[in-house]
Amino acid sequence: MRLRSTLACVALLASASAQAAGRPRYGGELRVAHGGPPEIGEPALADTPLEATLLGLLTRPVCQDTRDEGAVPALARQLSRPTAQALQLTLPSATSAQGLARAWMRLASNEGASPYRALLHAVRGEARQLTPRGAVLELPLSYPWPDLERALCHPALAPPVSATPVGPFTAAGRGALEAQLAWPQGRPYLDRLQLTATDQRGLSRLWSSRQVQVELGVASETDSVAGTALYATFLAFSPRRLPADFRQAVESAIDREDLTRLFVQAPAQPMPHLLPPALLDAPGRPRPAAPPATPSRTVTLLYDASVEDQRAVAERIQVKLHDRGYTVALEALSRAALRARWAKGDFELMLHALLLPPVPGPALAVVLEAGGRRDLLGVELPAIGALPAATARDARARERALALAGSVPLVPLYAQGLGMRFAPDVGGVMMDAQGLPSLDGLYVLPAEGAALGGRP
Amino acid sequence: MSRAWVWAPVLAALAAPSVLASSDSTAAIPRLTRQVTAAVRAQRVEAPVAVNVTGASAELRRAVSTLLASQLASAGLAPVVLEAPTAEAAEAQARAQGARTLMRISLDIEGGELRARGDVLGTWVNFWSGRTPTRPARPAATVVETVPADAAVLALALEAGGTTPPVPTETPLQGIRLMGATLATLEHPLAALAAGDLDGDGREEVVALTEHDVSVFDASGRLIARKALEALPAASATTREPFGALAILPGPPRVAAWSTRHAHGELLALDKARGTLRTVGTVDQAPLGAVERGSFVPGQTAFAPTVTLAEGRSLTVPAPFTTASLEAQRMLFVHPDGSAAYYAHAGASPLRWSNLGAGSALGDLNGDGVPELITTSPQLAPSPDRVRVFATTGDDPGTHEPLWQGALPTGRALYVVTANLDGDKRHEVIVGLWKPDGTSELFLLRQGAP
Repeated sequence: MRLRSTLACVALLASASAQAAGRPRYGGELRVAHGGPPEIGEPALADTPLEATLLGLLTRPVCQDTRDEGAVPALARQLSRPTAQALQLTLPSATSAQGLARAWMRLASNEGASPYRALLHAVRGEARQLTPRGAVLELPLSYPWPDLERALCHPALAPPVSATPVGPFTAAGRGALEAQLAWPQGRPYLDRLQLTATDQRGLSRLWSSRQVQVELGVASETDSVAGTALYATFLAFSPRRLPADFRQAVESAIDREDLTRLFVQAPAQPMPHLLPPALLDAPGRPRPAAPPATPSRTVTLLYDASVEDQRAVAERIQVKLHDRGYTVALEALSRAALRARWAKGDFELMLHALLLPPVPGPALAVVLEAGGRRDLLGVELPAIGALPAATARDARARERALALAGSVPLVPLYAQGLGMRFAPDVGGVMMDAQGLPSLDGLYVLPAEGAALGGRP
Repeated sequence: MSRAWVWAPVLAALAAPSVLASSDSTAAIPRLTRQVTAAVRAQRVEAPVAVNVTGASAELRRAVSTLLASQLASAGLAPVVLEAPTAEAAEAQARAQGARTLMRISLDIEGGELRARGDVLGTWVNFWSGRTPTRPARPAATVVETVPADAAVLALALEAGGTTPPVPTETPLQGIRLMGATLATLEHPLAALAAGDLDGDGREEVVALTEHDVSVFDASGRLIARKALEALPAASATTREPFGALAILPGPPRVAAWSTRHAHGELLALDKARGTLRTVGTVDQAPLGAVERGSFVPGQTAFAPTVTLAEGRSLTVPAPFTTASLEAQRMLFVHPDGSAAYYAHAGASPLRWSNLGAGSALGDLNGDGVPELITTSPQLAPSPDRVRVFATTGDDPGTHEPLWQGALPTGRALYVVTANLDGDKRHEVIVGLWKPDGTSELFLLRQGAP
């Protein structure tokens, strides 16, 4: 089933009366402002919802998760299962198949230093060696993993932007993106997007002066649309470097509701479990009592300098842990440096934020990897994948997420989504299951009683 | 219209037991009568049960009465079918025939649904009432059951002999009043729709193109043949929405089909005996009509303005168009903004029409030899979408009141064709709808009894 028929339409009907003879019209330009960086890096590091959305304009994973628990082709022309134990991807060309294989092999290697490599765990050899045959990439599996297709739809598994177009738009310089006519799922309706990077004040100014038609990364909760909150932030800790009662100290000190409401950019939700509330909606356990007082000790909390609210959260944790006898030093790092320290296990405390897939099994895999429990992947995933029914696999993954919470050195804190605003003349606003907007499906609605006489 | 054709779908179903077994579970009238029987049984009624059905056409009333009586008999309720002119007369007849229960239902077809409404009452008279026809306390219940109408319902709902029904108040001049029912459903969104006589029996088949296949349906909505298109090479620039071109080519009849998903299209011949569509060639120009050809605007749901007509003549319409309808010498091209260019004959200057929907077609619905314009709503996403019928004799039809209009089922109505499904002078209308769940529906509209 094609994407258009399965995504949820959020704002299409707002201007449904505009004359367009039943079909969206092609052409035009949209001005888009966002609160993200002007340049987006490699897919495995562009994992905030905003960065993943922006990157998705230029490069797409092989497929896109749909809200009806399916996956539709995106970069790939086709996904098929010649046997239950193998997935076959047909890419638009041999070049794109080779580019994708290289990107995945790098991600799967230690060099990749990415928790998202867990998404490829079921592939034989954990996808460290992939050899495409022409435009076809075959992925034999080590164990049954029916959720592989949906796992491969994760934005972190998109190939890097290259000379070969791998997304619905191509960069045309100075923030301009032009529609790629040969995009396998059909060219975008728009001819061009004009992107402007700014901050929250800039977003408000541009919106109120009607200089932009789309805003991404809006913190305001009025007039905005929110994507599913799957960007999960954890406090990762090193069990080797911290006392056994550290988790109890953190859990007793931190009020997630308070943290989310006062220190985290909306839209956000407290996250009491290893999976976000969108995937695991169960009440959290009561906060434990503080552990017995111990002599003061100094620890360092690493956080992502590029995520604005992580500094505020880190400072809040600093204050709260001080009450439990911890003197917390804060160290801001780039995301690449942060991931490198994570991969080496070179940290005491770290704010670790991940864009989790919208499927409990693959999401649990990423969380276990991020928590340094790669040893559990080979035990937990085959047991989940052995269940033929998707609902049973999801239930099992949720159950295991609850059971494993105490043995994974991660303290879940909160989950965020992407806040967006769209002007009334923008049609075709759709969100995918990952909670990201499909900007290539946007179009400019003709004004009421617009001039007649052919194409705009 | 021949009376024989009116019964054709029903007789065809009866003549084919294997089909009957499967269609019985989904056909509208058996479903409705099962639902009504279940509702009556739930009231713990006493046999014999008298049944009086009113409304709709005599044929439809009789068909429903027959199947309802069969269902009630199977349930051991000893039915008696009445033909009383009024509800009061039905009650009197039921008592006179010794029935203990009376079911009075009226039928109507509205919005593509067949509906039965009425009541169930006891007709037993207490001895102590004497000659006064008192009613017992039980049973006493209302009956409201609805099922989606189908082609057989519409065929039975036609006036006897195919005469024009009484002129309704909203269509005082041309007498067009359409009734709708689901003809067929498709698993994928439609990319194009066409109709033509593929088997030479004088009745046109309906052909539907999706990105995945071409399907041929007969007048009753039965799938005659289907051909997968997956083996065709992918297009270098496809469209986000399914789109394509489909036409029936003459002598011998063939289907020319091209989805923008593929680099070229296919020419297909129907083998009715085997129920297959056989590839007899490739198509490298977008087929707009029997001989008219066009080309896709790459990546867009539109055709380029230049059209090749018969004998290689070229026509350039004012702008790219999403829909073409070619009826005899008349040509209609609907542009993406809802305007259209109408040519009364080849070589004529185009008239500019307005407020048309992507689903637009020319077709003679009332048999007067002049085609009407049938068009959907011009809005992008109307809810519900509507189909409107205009006369084509005057100026811009979009500025006049329609001869008839009616709401369509849920979905985006992007395709309209007219087809002569029964071999008479009047064309039927088939609307192709994209459903919200990613499937498609072919919705049949034909002249019918109120």
